[in-house]
Amino acid sequence: MTSNRVFFNTSSRKARCARRFLQSLLRIRQRRPGSLSSEEVRQRSRRIKMAAYSSMACTVGSRRAWSRAIIFRLQSRAGRHGRMRRRCLGVKKKPSREMSQADRLRDLVPGGEALDFCNLLEETAHYIKCLSSQVEIMKSIADIYCRS
Amino acid sequence: MERIAGTGGRSGSTGGEKEEIGAESFLFGEEIQRLMTGPPENGSSFTALLGLPANQAMELLHSQESDTAPAELSGEAWRDNHMNPHKLYYCSPTFPANTTLIDRAARFSVFAAGENSPETSSVPSNSSHKVKNEPTDTDSNPNSLPPLISNPTVENKNQRSTKRKEREKKAKGSTKKCKNASNETSEEAEKLPYVHVRARRGQATDSHSLAERARREKINARMKLLQELVPGCNKISGTALVLDEIISHVQSLQRQVEFLSMRLAAVNPRIDFNLDSLLAPESGSLVDSNFPSMVMPLMWPDVQANENRQPYQQLWNDDTLHQPVWGREEDDPHNFIAPEHSLLSYDSSANSGSLQSNQLKMEL
Repeated sequence: MTSNRVFFNTSSRKARCARRFLQSLLRIRQRRPGSLSSEEVRQRSRRIKMAAYSSMACTVGSRRAWSRAIIFRLQSRAGRHGRMRRRCLGVKKKPSREMSQADRLRDLVPGGEALDFCNLLEETAHYIKCLSSQVEIMKSIADIYCRS
Repeated sequence: MERIAGTGGRSGSTGGEKEEIGAESFLFGEEIQRLMTGPPENGSSFTALLGLPANQAMELLHSQESDTAPAELSGEAWRDNHMNPHKLYYCSPTFPANTTLIDRAARFSVFAAGENSPETSSVPSNSSHKVKNEPTDTDSNPNSLPPLISNPTVENKNQRSTKRKEREKKAKGSTKKCKNASNETSEEAEKLPYVHVRARRGQATDSHSLAERARREKINARMKLLQELVPGCNKISGTALVLDEIISHVQSLQRQVEFLSMRLAAVNPRIDFNLDSLLAPESGSLVDSNFPSMVMPLMWPDVQANENRQPYQQLWNDDTLHQPVWGREEDDPHNFIAPEHSLLSYDSSANSGSLQSNQLKMEL
């Protein structure tokens, strides 16, 4: 029964995410029905990608660093360059190989620039969970599209 | 105070009359010489040097004059070295380089307050709380002296040492206290300024190694969690390889999102209708299962007719309303076997995927 409840919880989060994503997908599609040029397709794909990330982040809320970063990035659409990066002091002592890997991971996980290594790993775990569920959602939607 | 007034007057004179420059520079050099010759005995020029209010500096002097007069002398010389260039080059009424000097003054006042407490002279480790707030200061200070052997019994003999030595002693007193807390012999700790104790298994030496061990354990636990998340990562051992795997997994997931969004965007827009009908049969099945089937034909053309999202919103709300019903049906083991049959299985519904896909085909 506990496993069922766990499944129910994760699946409800997934369901909220899927619902949000479908709504924004519909909105994107209704914006310009009809055939599209390649440029429009590219723009639409970018928009869909943003919708996917924002549905992920909005489902999680502002509890996590990565979702906060995504929401902030979406709100300030311009994407400020040259944002100051704060490095934690504890990371500097690490050997160069691992530090470069940690930096690569920081670049990958949104909002990971300001985190130390320990919190970065936690954020990465949560981010991987949400991202893989989002990938499953998108894959199933695309499958349904292609089947019909 | 008097110095500031003097420089103000001098700068005013240089602005006004040019023939007085020679005399003025003479006065200037004289004052520099006065500063360079040695520390003044009275407190007034000391207050002028510090740029502090007179009462504060007097308080400083009175609290320190008993045991740390040589420290003040050395500090005086240091301050002279630092102030003379500013006096030479700027010659402005405002006091130059305020930040460093005021910083030092504030620090001195902190230590003066600490020395006023009666238990400081006997046990140095009790007053270490004020010092612990600025541990980096001793490292960043270029004039900091190497730490001495700190012994509480020799405390009274070391009264002629400078302020910094005392500060470092206090800092070491704090580490000593930690070691005493962890049942270490204090004589060993006094021998070496920085003790690198190789802790045996399960033995905590001081707070730093304790914290570091806790941090390492936390990192290992999270690494293990990530290893479970990332497929094919369980067999790999070694932090670097696992990190590599994690990075590539995140990259592949992000690339998949990009690819799928491209795929979703490139789908022919005439299938838009299918997306609408996709949402509809889910609610239709819901309605079907809970209400008399006559309701469905009423809602179904409504969905088809106007393509705004409002009806879907209602249907989704229906969806959430009836979740407990689905939760009751969760005992069906087939739910978890085939979740990828349709999108609908990603909903919290516990309807079996095969049933929903059948319904979907029916509706389509």
